Amino acid sequence: MIDQFLLGAEQIFTVSTLLFMLLGSIAGIVAAAIPGFTITMAIILTLPLTFAMPPLQGIAVMLSVYVGGYTGGLISAALLGIPGTPSSVATTFDAFPMARAGQPGRALSLGVWASFFGTLISTVVLIVAAPPLALIAVKLGPWEYFSLILFALTIIASLVGASLLRGLMAGAIGLAISTVGPDPMMGRPRFDFGLDMLAPGMPFLVVLIGIFAISQLVSEVEDVRAVRSGTSLATKDIDFQTWAMMREILVRPVNLVRSSIVGVLIGALPGAGGSIANLLAYDQAKRASKTPEKFGTGISEGVVASEAGNSATAGGGLIPLIALGIPGSAVDAILMASLMVHGISVGPRLIMDNADLVYGMFIAMVVASLMMLIVCMVSLRLFLRVTEIPKWAIVPAVIVCCVVGSFALNNRVTDLYLLGFIGLAGYLLKTLDYPLAPLVLGVILGPIAETNLRRALMTDSDWTVFLTRPVSLLLLVAAVASVAWAVWRHRQSRARKSLTDPKESG
Amino acid sequence: MQADQNPTPEKQEAGGVARLLSYLVILAASVGLFFDARALPTSRWDVLGAGAFPQLVFATLGVLALVAIADALRKLPPGAFAGFGAAAVPWLRARYLVVALLALFGLYLAILPRAGFSWTTLGFLLAAQLLLAPRRPRVIAVLLILALLFSFGLNALFAEAFNVFLPRGRWWT
Repeated sequence: MIDQFLLGAEQIFTVSTLLFMLLGSIAGIVAAAIPGFTITMAIILTLPLTFAMPPLQGIAVMLSVYVGGYTGGLISAALLGIPGTPSSVATTFDAFPMARAGQPGRALSLGVWASFFGTLISTVVLIVAAPPLALIAVKLGPWEYFSLILFALTIIASLVGASLLRGLMAGAIGLAISTVGPDPMMGRPRFDFGLDMLAPGMPFLVVLIGIFAISQLVSEVEDVRAVRSGTSLATKDIDFQTWAMMREILVRPVNLVRSSIVGVLIGALPGAGGSIANLLAYDQAKRASKTPEKFGTGISEGVVASEAGNSATAGGGLIPLIALGIPGSAVDAILMASLMVHGISVGPRLIMDNADLVYGMFIAMVVASLMMLIVCMVSLRLFLRVTEIPKWAIVPAVIVCCVVGSFALNNRVTDLYLLGFIGLAGYLLKTLDYPLAPLVLGVILGPIAETNLRRALMTDSDWTVFLTRPVSLLLLVAAVASVAWAVWRHRQSRARKSLTDPKESG
Repeated sequence: MQADQNPTPEKQEAGGVARLLSYLVILAASVGLFFDARALPTSRWDVLGAGAFPQLVFATLGVLALVAIADALRKLPPGAFAGFGAAAVPWLRARYLVVALLALFGLYLAILPRAGFSWTTLGFLLAAQLLLAPRRPRVIAVLLILALLFSFGLNALFAEAFNVFLPRGRWWT
């Protein structure tokens, strides 16, 4: 085993591999910082460049893009309030208010450190627990998956903001949006009203960009005087507090470890990914906090939870891939394709036949996270220049980036029309005080919930199976408890508010 | 009518009426789409069919909208509806930049497939930045450079570096 480990290390620690990994890390960070440019797209673009490389070098470069990408989404989430990738939706909740409150450097530092530690923790778990965790993940049937998604949907109850009703409605609107287009089982067209724009469904990324980016950008120009005076998006007061932020995370490790474990577990489940882990880790941190009402106002626990959660899915996703040859996400599928291009068969025998490669992948994960940390620390000052650009310059330019991101996804002009409509709807909903996060969660989870519900009932039409399978029952009980707990907390916080401000009772 | 820091009672009432209108729109849409979903066929293998999940979702959304309507009607004072029009016009007027930017964005998306990415984006960026920016010679020079960079520059970057070809425009082919 040690021989194989050293063989893997020897291949990683060559000048050319480290140099390519550094380039991959920079590319991943920059790509994910552009709204609409996903990690999957960055990995797809990297794949052809790795064909000429030795297998481990190619995989190591792709892992660098992967790890860098999970952190890159943080930059636009914190500085512009726009999730750079679907995996950084929850990052906007606290990193953006923190940046707006004059601490953009602190928000970025916290996020980068949380991403770094999240990736490291997930790599340790990957090394130790790959085979047993993968075995559990593949034993879950559609009943358990549906119950799991139902449990994940209960996050909505704690993301509702001021009004529980509007939050639940926003979640249901998200689920409704996910039903447009071909149904996920039989491909029957639904709710397209004969329009080309709606026929292929509403791509999640276009919905995300429209709802978050366009609505946020448009609301930036509400204040005419601030725009015309050349006000920038955040203050110029730059203070990274790099080491202080590292200490802040490490002295309170519970949040970091819990969020990373959530990320690893979600990453290990086929079909789930960084976008769910990011929200779920944030939700768990909020529930465990003694001051949940401070979440969403720029609290450090929120930034740490969301970033550690999404970054930890990188290691988690590799668990079923390495142990069983099952890709946990689209990115893992591309990594798997890359191995197959090099003639390496992925499956349970991978670790036996190509142990040096697998150990090399473990080492590459650690090296990639270190590179991400170094690249971010060196270039954070450059990224922070974004906050100094006046709104009149950045708002139209980022709108154009959103258009490019939406188009590049499927090369469909109709997606751009969709972006326009969704952006307008997002702005109206935001103006009317509907929380947007539950809507996005509904769009993410809707198709997975529907597919597993229908698959379960196709296998056995008896609904009681959801209650007779122990894991499914456990998840359903957890879902009910989660809603009850969130409603109780919501009522308590409203009661507290109405005590301090009697006008707030409505 | 987004809640501002210290909303007056009139503004709060106008916001309440606007939200009530949104609940009504959501209720109407969910009822209509619920019946649309009922018409979707089932099959021998698929017990639920393509319409069951949407029906569940739209029924839930409809019930939530009904509860929200009842709640809003209970909370709104009788005079709130009369004051809505009076509050809406100044609200919209104060946000003329938002309306203008959204109109420009709509126009941009409509023209883009015809005139192509580079030229349409150049026009959109120039128009949007001129709308938002203070009119000073140095600012005009900067926005010209920015508009060129984010239109022709971005198009070249995506074509050369990523092999992603942005719309070339029907008018030029």
